[in-house]
Amino acid sequence: MLARPGLVSFDYVRARTPGEVVQLLAEHGADARLMMGGTDLLVRIRDGAVRPRLVVDLKHLPGMRDILYQQQAGLTVGAAVTMNQLARHPAVVAHYPLLAQAANSVASYPLRNRATIGGNLCNASPCADTAPPSYVLAGRIVVHGSAGEQEVAIADFFRGPGQTVLQPGQFVTAIRFPPSPAAASGRYLKLGRNKAGDLAIVSVAVLGFPDASAPSGYRFRIALGAVAPVVLRVPAAEEWLAHHPPGAETFARAADLAAAAASPIDDVRASADYRRAMVRTLTRRGLNAVADTIAAPTGSA
Amino acid sequence: MSEQTTNPVGKSVPRVDAYDKVTGAAAFTDDLQFGPGLLFGRAVRSPYPHALIKRLDVGPALELRGVKAVVTGADTPGFIGLYLKDRHIFCTDRVRYVGDPVAGVVAASEEIAEEAARRVVVEYEELPAVLDPLQAIQPDAPLLHPDLGSYDVVPFIFPQPGTNISNVFRVRKGDVEGAWAQCDAVVADTYRVPHIQHVPIEPHVAIARWDLSGEVTLWSSTQSPFAQRDLIAHTLGISQGDMRVIGNYIGGGFGSKAGVSMEALAVAMARQVPGRPVKVRMTREEEFYCCFVRQGLVARVKIGGTKEGRILALQVEYYWDAGAYTEYGVNITRAAGYSSTGPYNIPNVKTDSYCLYTNHPVGGPMRGFGMPEIHWSIEQSVDQLAEALAIDPVAFRQRNCVQGGDVIVTGMTMHPHGLSECIERVAQRIDWGKKEVPSAPHKRRGKGVAACWKAPAMPPNPGSEAWVRFNEDATVSVGVGGQELGQGAFTVAAQVAAEALGIPYEWVRIANPVDTKYSPYEWQTVASRITWSMGNAVKAAAEDARRQILEIVARYWDQDPGDLDIRGGEVVSSKSEQSLSLRNLVVYGLPLPDDQGWIGGPIIGRGKFMPTYVTGLDPETGQGARAVVHYTTGAQAAEVEVDLETGRVELLCIAAAYDVGKAINPEQVHAQLEGGVVQGASSALLEALTFQDGRPVNASFVDYRIMTAVDAPQRILTDFVEVPQDDGPWGARGVGEHPMIATAPAIANAIYDALGIRFNDLPLTAEKIYLALQGA
Ligand SMILES: Cc1cc2nc3c(=O)[nH]c(=O)nc-3n(C[C@H](O)[C@H](O)[C@H](O)COP(=O)(O)OP(=O)(O)OC[C@H]3O[C@@H](n4cnc5c(N)ncnc54)[C@H](O)[C@@H]3O)c2cc1C
Repeated sequence: MLARPGLVSFDYVRARTPGEVVQLLAEHGADARLMMGGTDLLVRIRDGAVRPRLVVDLKHLPGMRDILYQQQAGLTVGAAVTMNQLARHPAVVAHYPLLAQAANSVASYPLRNRATIGGNLCNASPCADTAPPSYVLAGRIVVHGSAGEQEVAIADFFRGPGQTVLQPGQFVTAIRFPPSPAAASGRYLKLGRNKAGDLAIVSVAVLGFPDASAPSGYRFRIALGAVAPVVLRVPAAEEWLAHHPPGAETFARAADLAAAAASPIDDVRASADYRRAMVRTLTRRGLNAVADTIAAPTGSA
Repeated sequence: MSEQTTNPVGKSVPRVDAYDKVTGAAAFTDDLQFGPGLLFGRAVRSPYPHALIKRLDVGPALELRGVKAVVTGADTPGFIGLYLKDRHIFCTDRVRYVGDPVAGVVAASEEIAEEAARRVVVEYEELPAVLDPLQAIQPDAPLLHPDLGSYDVVPFIFPQPGTNISNVFRVRKGDVEGAWAQCDAVVADTYRVPHIQHVPIEPHVAIARWDLSGEVTLWSSTQSPFAQRDLIAHTLGISQGDMRVIGNYIGGGFGSKAGVSMEALAVAMARQVPGRPVKVRMTREEEFYCCFVRQGLVARVKIGGTKEGRILALQVEYYWDAGAYTEYGVNITRAAGYSSTGPYNIPNVKTDSYCLYTNHPVGGPMRGFGMPEIHWSIEQSVDQLAEALAIDPVAFRQRNCVQGGDVIVTGMTMHPHGLSECIERVAQRIDWGKKEVPSAPHKRRGKGVAACWKAPAMPPNPGSEAWVRFNEDATVSVGVGGQELGQGAFTVAAQVAAEALGIPYEWVRIANPVDTKYSPYEWQTVASRITWSMGNAVKAAAEDARRQILEIVARYWDQDPGDLDIRGGEVVSSKSEQSLSLRNLVVYGLPLPDDQGWIGGPIIGRGKFMPTYVTGLDPETGQGARAVVHYTTGAQAAEVEVDLETGRVELLCIAAAYDVGKAINPEQVHAQLEGGVVQGASSALLEALTFQDGRPVNASFVDYRIMTAVDAPQRILTDFVEVPQDDGPWGARGVGEHPMIATAPAIANAIYDALGIRFNDLPLTAEKIYLALQGA
C-alpha cells in the first residue's frame, strides 16, 4: 500500500532524564518508540512499518550531544551527536578520520544535521554508514537500562537487519572508541548507485597500523557493510595480511578473501554478484590507500 | 525601471519571474490559501495491476468523523482522454494498473481522508496482467479494453478493436525489401527503454470548487489549463463557459503536468461538496505511478547502407509500452512513426509503430515525446552501420543527415535548418578523433556523437491567442495562456511584446497566473511550441496595438502612419522628426486641436496564431504533403571515462548544439540545453521505474536515483545555430525538449568507443556495465 501523505498521530515526549525514559518505556512497552533525529523512525512511521502511540525523544538528555576526547581514554561520542557534528569535530578529524569520513558520506548535508550516530547504529540497517568504521575502531555501545549502564562491544550489538541486543527498557547513550593504535590509518569507501546521497550498496572500512607482533609488521582490520545481515569482519583476510608483506599482490588476495566472506543478496539496489565483486574492488582500494598513508613518514592516523 | 532594454529580442535579459522565485514570493498552487472551508481528498487506489471490481463498500469510510463525501465510478460514468477517450475518472468495473483510482474520499483533513480511504472496502477478482508490450501484441494476450471499438477518438488515431493496440502508425516508402540487396552492410538489433518518471520538484496538486451557481473552478499545477478546462468540462457535462482553470507557477512539469491526470479526481470529488474547495495532492510515491510515466519501448531496427556511406534502407518496429490508458501515448506512437528515420535522408523506409495497452502506469508525454526513446535505437544503429561500413560516425552523419529541400520520411519537404553545422560544432568541441589518455590504468575513455530531430507533436490546428493592454504610464500587460514551467516562457513573451511594440523590456508585465476566465487561449504548454506559437500570437497582438497607436498619432500629427514608428517608448516621425511619449495617450487618447474633442482611447491589441498547413497522412503509407509544422534539429557529443573495476561512468564532457532558428534569449537557450543534457544523462545512467508483477518497487527517491550536481557532466558546452524558421517570431523555433533527446545515445556511443561493448537497454548503470565487462 502507498505511504500516507502525512504521519498518523502519536504522543510525543521530550525526555529530560534517563530515569524518565526508563519509566516511560516500562509504562508503554512496545507502544513506545525512541527517537533522536527521527530520520529513520519518522520515515518508518509514515510507511506504516511501525505504529507507535508514544514517541520518546532522547536527544535532549544530558550529555547525549557531547563529544569527549582524552588521549588515554579515547573518544566518547554521545548517541545524539549528529553526522555533521561528528564529521567536523577536531578530535574526530585528527584521531578517528575514518569515522568522520563515514559520517560525511551519509545522505546530504541537511539530513546530516538531524541524523545521529546513535540512531544510525540502533536502526541496525546492514548499510548503516557508521557501523563498519565502528567495528574496525573497536567501538563499544553504552547501554542504559533499569539496572544502570553497561557497555557492549559493537561486534556483539547487532543481531540482524533492524535488530540489536537492546532489551525492552534499554537505550543507547553513547559510543566509546578506545585510542586508535599508534600510526594507524583508515579509509571508509562507500559505493552508491550515484555519487551523492545514496545508501551504500557496498561499503568497506579498513584500518591499518604497524604492529611488530605481526609477521608482516602490520595489522589490518576490515569490516564490510551492506553485504550480510550485519556488518562483517573478515578474519581470513586480516590473517592473510598479518602474514604477508603489504603490497599489491597481498592486497588483491585479501580482497578476494573479503569477497568470498561476503554473503550479499539480490535486491532493487544491486545484485549479489555485483555486490560481491565490489567488495573486492573496494577492499583492494581501501588497503592500497591505507598502506600508502601508513607508509608515509609524516602520516598520522 | 532603471534598466531600459530596448530591442530585447536576441538579448539575455533577466527573467521576468527571477525576483519572485528567488525571494520566495512566487505563489505555487499548494501555497494558495482557501481558509477554514478547505477540504481534502484522497484516492482509493487499486493494489492490483489488472482486476475486476466485484464489490465496493464505502460505508465504513463514511462512518469516520470528518468525512464529507465519497465518490466512486458510479458518479463519473463518462470517459475522458485527449486523443482517445479510454478512461473513467474513477474506475467503474475494472482496474488496469496498480494505483488506478476506484474511489475518492473528501474529508476535513488529509489525514482523515487517508484513514477513510483505507476503510473503503473493495473486493477484486484478479485478472491475468499484461506486463510487456511484446506480450500485449500477442493474439492471445488478455484484453485490457474490450470496448476499445466504442471509444471516441480523433481522426488521425487508429485503435484496433479486439486487440491491445490503441494506435498504429505505418510508413511505407520506397522499396525496403528490394533495397537490402543493394546494401554493402546491414545491421539489426533490438533496443529497450524502461519507464521513467519526470520527478518534478513540485508534485501534482489540484484544488477544485463547484459553486452553487454552477461555476466550477480548478486551481492546478498544470501545463494545460485550457485542455483541462475542455476535457474535464466535456466529461462532467459542464459548459466550458462555466469551467475555470487557474494555473499558478509550476515547479517543473516535463510533460507530467500536460493534459489531465489527477486533476479530474479533485473536480469529481468537489462536485459532492458544493461550495467547498477540495484539495488533492500527490505524495512523491503517487507521483511515480499515479500520474504519468514515460512510456516504455521495445524497438527493433534494421538498417543498411552502401560503402560510399549512404543509408539506403531502414525497417523499424516500435512496440510502445503505453500502460493502462493513453492520454498522449497514441500520439507519441504516431510521432515516433513519422520521425522514425531520425534526422536522416533514407529513401526506403518501412515503419510500424504500435501503441500497446499494458497493466503498467499510464504512459504520458515526457520531454521529447517519444524522441529520446526512438533516438536511443536510431543513433546507436547509425553508429553500428557506420562501423560496419568502416566510416567515421561524424562523417557518416554528415553524409546522411537531412538537408533543407530533401523529401523526408513522410513525403514532406524539409525546411532549411542547421543540423550539419550542429554536428560539426559538437565534434569540434570535444576534439572528435583525438584519442584521450585515461586518468588511471583501470579506466578507459571514449567519445560518442548523436544527432536528433523533433517536431512539435500535436493536432494539426493547435491555436495560440494573446493580448497586449497598455497602462497609463505606457507599461503594458501581456495576456498569455501559455505556462511558465521554469523554461522562461513569460520572459520570452515579454521580450517579444517589447520588441514588437518598440518599448523597453522593463515596461512589460505578464498577466499571470493564467486563468481561463481572463487569459487568452492557448492549446497547451507542450511540444516545444510556446516560443514559436505563443510568440507569434504575442507578436501579432503587439503589432495590432502598435498599429492602433500609430494611427491615432498620425491623425493627431496629420501624417501618414507609415512615416511613424515607436522607439524606446516614444512615437517618432521620420518625416517631421516630432516625438511623443506613449504615456497617457495609450489610455486617454489625444485631444483634437482647439478643444474639438478627443481621439483614440485605451489601447488593447489582440493576436492569434494557428498553423493552417498541416495535412493528413495516408494511414497505410504515412505519406502526405506536410506531416508537421517543422523540425528542430541538433546534435550532442559525449566524452566519458569508464572505471573498469566498478563500471561507473564519469561524464567528462557533453557538447550540445541545436538550431533554434533565432535565440530570443540566448542565456535561456543555454540554460535549457544544460538542463536537458543533465536530465538526459540522468535517464542514460540511472533512471528506471522497476516493477515486480506489475507493482513498482522503487517508487521513491530512496531507490529511484536521479542525477545530482556531482554526478552531472563535468563540462557541458552548449551552442546554438540560427537558421530562421519561416513562420517563427524573428525566425525562432522551439528547443525545450530537444536537449534531452541525443544525450543517452551519445553517451552509449561513447561507452562503446571506450569499451567495445554495445548496451541496448537503458539505463547504463555501473552494475550493468561492470557485469558486461566480466562477460566480455
Ligand atoms: C533521505 C535519507 C537518506 C539517508 N541516507 C543514509 C545514508 O546515506 N547512510 C546511512 O547510514 N543512513 C542513511 N539514512 C538513514 C538515517 O538517516 C540514519 O540511519 C540516521 O543516522 C538515523 O539517525 P536518527 O537520529 O535520525 O535516528 P532515529 O530515526 O531517531 O532512530 C533510528 C532508530 O533507532 C532507535 N533509537 C533512536 N535512538 C535510540 C537510542 N538512544 N537507543 C536505542 N534506540 C534508539 C529508534 O527507535 C529507531 O528505531 C538516510 C535516511 C534518509 C531519510
